[in-house]
Amino acid sequence: MKFALAGNANVGKSAIFNELTGMHQHIGNWPGKTVEKAEGTFFFLDKDIDVIDLPGIYSFSTFSMEELISRNYLSEQRPDAIINVVDSTILERNLFLTLQLIELGFPMVMALNMYDEAKMKGMEIDYKKLSKELGIPVVPTVAIKRRGISKMATAAIRVATRHAKPKPIQYGKEIEERVSSIEKKLSGMDLAFPARWFAIKLLEGDQEVIRIVEKKKPSILKLVSKYSRELEKIHGEPANVVISSERYSIAARITSKVIKRSKYKETISDKLDKITTNKFAGYIIMFLAMGLTLFTIFYLGSWLSDWLVNLLSVIQEPLKNTIRDPFLFSLVWSTVDGLIAGVAIVLPYIIPFYIILSFVEDSGYLARVAFLTDSLMHKIGLHGKAFIPMVLGFGCNVPACLGCRIMERPREKFITAFLVTLVPCAARTVIILGLVAAFLGFQWAVALYIIDFIIILLIGKLLNKFMPGEPVGLIMEMPPYRLPSIKVALRSSWARVKEFIKIAFPLIIASSFVIEFLRQIGVLGEFSAVISPITVGWLGLPQAAGILLIFGILRKELVLVMLASVLGTTNFATALTQLQMFTLALVSMLYVPCIATIAALKREFGWKKALYIAVFEIVFAILVGGILMRVLAPLLA
Amino acid sequence: MLVPLTHLKGKKAIVREIHGGVTAKQRLSDMGLLPGTQIKVLGNAPFKGPIRLEVKHSELVVGWGLASKIFVEEIV
Ligand SMILES: Nc1nc2c(ncn2[C@@H]2O[C@H](COP(=O)(O)OP(=O)(O)OP(=O)(O)O)[C@@H](O)[C@H]2O)c(=O)[nH]1
Ligand SMILES: [Mg+2]
Repeated sequence: MKFALAGNANVGKSAIFNELTGMHQHIGNWPGKTVEKAEGTFFFLDKDIDVIDLPGIYSFSTFSMEELISRNYLSEQRPDAIINVVDSTILERNLFLTLQLIELGFPMVMALNMYDEAKMKGMEIDYKKLSKELGIPVVPTVAIKRRGISKMATAAIRVATRHAKPKPIQYGKEIEERVSSIEKKLSGMDLAFPARWFAIKLLEGDQEVIRIVEKKKPSILKLVSKYSRELEKIHGEPANVVISSERYSIAARITSKVIKRSKYKETISDKLDKITTNKFAGYIIMFLAMGLTLFTIFYLGSWLSDWLVNLLSVIQEPLKNTIRDPFLFSLVWSTVDGLIAGVAIVLPYIIPFYIILSFVEDSGYLARVAFLTDSLMHKIGLHGKAFIPMVLGFGCNVPACLGCRIMERPREKFITAFLVTLVPCAARTVIILGLVAAFLGFQWAVALYIIDFIIILLIGKLLNKFMPGEPVGLIMEMPPYRLPSIKVALRSSWARVKEFIKIAFPLIIASSFVIEFLRQIGVLGEFSAVISPITVGWLGLPQAAGILLIFGILRKELVLVMLASVLGTTNFATALTQLQMFTLALVSMLYVPCIATIAALKREFGWKKALYIAVFEIVFAILVGGILMRVLAPLLA
Repeated sequence: MLVPLTHLKGKKAIVREIHGGVTAKQRLSDMGLLPGTQIKVLGNAPFKGPIRLEVKHSELVVGWGLASKIFVEEIV
C-alpha cells in the first residue's frame, strides 16, 4: 500500500512523515524545505506501507518545479491514498489545494494539522462537519507531539482498501456546464486523471494538459478556447482566474460553516514581528543575531575544544610505550591523531552550530530575514528568498545548493547556488574560529566574515551583469513564529552530526594516515613543493600549506586537522605567523567548498557549470588571498 | 479610486485588478490574491522592500514589483 503526503508548504508534511517512518526529513519553520520527494516505509495494522513526502505546493498550475514533481508523482506512481496535510490555523487558504486534490480522484483523508495552534488561537473547528462538506475523513493531528497520527493512518488505510473516491466539489453553473461538455468529449480517452480534472485544467489553460490532449484529440481544443473566451467575457477575468476565484469562494463558504473564532487576540508572534520586521530594529536585530550566534559558537567551541585536546592527548604516552617501532608508531599515531583532531577541534564547533541553526530554522526567523533582505537581494538580481539557502549554507553547502530550488527560475537558481558556495559552511567556520579567532582574536574572525559578505555581494553583482534579468517577484507565505520544539531541534541536529561523522571521519582518518605515510617515506615535501610558487611565493604561507589546501578539497575542515598533524601540535602559533594564519583561513574560506558541494552543483546544473564555479573560485581565492595578504601585512606583522 | 498596492495610504483594501502576464496572475491567485480579495497591510521593508499583507487570516509577503501590479480600492 502506498500513501502520498500532499499539501501546502510548511504545514507539517515532513513532520508527519518523520513520525510515521522514524526517518529524518528536513523540518523547519519556513516554506519550501522539501524540494525532492522522499520515500519511507512503516508497518501498521499488519500492513507494510510506503509513504511519500511531497514538496509543498499551493496549486496544480505547473508554475513551479515542486508542482511538477508532485503532479508527475501522482500520475505515474498512483498512490492508494493521498493524505492531505493542512494547517488548521489557515484552513481557508489550504482548502484551495484540497479542492484540487479531490478532483484528482484518489482516495483521500485530511490531516488537520497544527490543531494545537488553532486551539491556542481560540479557533473551534467542527471537523466532523468539515468531513461531511468535503466527503473525506478528517483527523485532527499535532504532528510534533505525535497526536492523531495513528488515527490518521487508520483512516487512510480504510479509504485505500475501499477505493473510496471523493465526490468532486461542484462549481457554479457557468463553469459546470462547460466542464461537463468538455468532459463528455474526453470520455473514452486513456487519461492519468479523471476526465473532469482534464476538462477543468483545459479550461484553465494548463499548458501541459493542453499538450497531452493536443496529441490525442486536438479537435477539443477549439471548443475549449471558445468556452474560455466566454467565461472571460462574462467575468472580465481570464478563465483560470475565474475558476480560482470560485475555488476560493467555496473554500470561504466551507470555512465559515465549520470554524468559530473568538475575538482575535494579539499573539506573541505578532508582538515579536513588530520588532523583528521593523524598518530599523529589524536590521539591528538581524546583525546582532548573526554576531551573537558566531560568538556563542566560538566561545562554546573553543572551550570544549581545549578541554578535549587536553583530555585526549593523555592517550599519547601509553601508546608510545606499547609500540616501540617508531615508524609503526607514527603511522598508528597519525590515524589516532586524525581521530582526536576530528573529535577535539571539529565537533566542538560543529555540534553547537547545528543545534543553533536548527533552533533558528524552527523558529520562523528565516522568513523574516527573507523579508528584510529582499531589496538588497534585488540589487544582485535575486529576491529575498535567496537569502534562505544562503543562511542554510552556513551549516553545509550541500543541502543549501539543493535548497536553491526555492528560486523559481534557472537563472536565479544558478546565481544563488554560486553565492551559496561562497558562504562559509560549518567546516570553514571551524577553520576561521579554530585558527583565526583562537590565535588572532575574535575581531579578526569577524573581519573575515565581513570580507566574505562583501565578496558575495560583489560576485553577485558581477553575475547579475553577465546573466542579466529581473527575478520573478517575491511572494511568500510568512509563517508565524513558533516556539522551536526541543525534540525536533535536537533530533535534526543529531541527524546532521551523524551524517557529518559518517562522511567526515573516515576521510579525516584516512587523510591523516596518507599524509603521515608520505612524510615517512619522504615525499611529502615534494608534493607541497609542486605548488610552492603559489603557496609560498604568492601567498606567503609555509611550504607545507600546499598539501593542506589540496586535501581541503576533500573536506574543508581537513585543512585544520591536517595542519595539526603536519605540525604535530594544535598550538598553531608555534609554526605560523598571524598573517599566515589569516591568509590560510581566507583562502580556505574562498576556494571551492569541497567535493560534495561540487557534486551537488553538478547534480543541479551539470558538469560544465559545476567545474566553472570550482575553477573560478580556486583562481579567485588565490588572487584575493595574495592581495589581501600584502594589504594586511603591516597590520599583522 | 484604484491605486497600486505600493501607493495605498490606509491599511485595509480590496484587490480590484491585477495587471501583468498570465503567469503573474496565476501565481498571485494561487497564493490567494485575486480580484475581490480583502487585504490588510501589516507593514513593509525600507528601500522598496516587500509588503506584509494579511490575506484570509494568514500572512503573505509580496515584493515591491509584484505589489505595484496589484490595484486595490481602499476601504475607509
Ligand atoms: N505547533 C505545531 N507545530 C507543528 C506541527 N506540525 C509541524 N509543526 C512545525 O511546523 C513547521 C513545518 O513543519 P514541516 O514538517 O517542516 O512542514 P512541511 O509541510 O514538510 O514543509 P515544506 O517541506 O517546506 O513544504 C516545523 O517548524 C514544525 O516543527 C503541529 O502539529 N503543531
Ligand atoms: Mg517538508
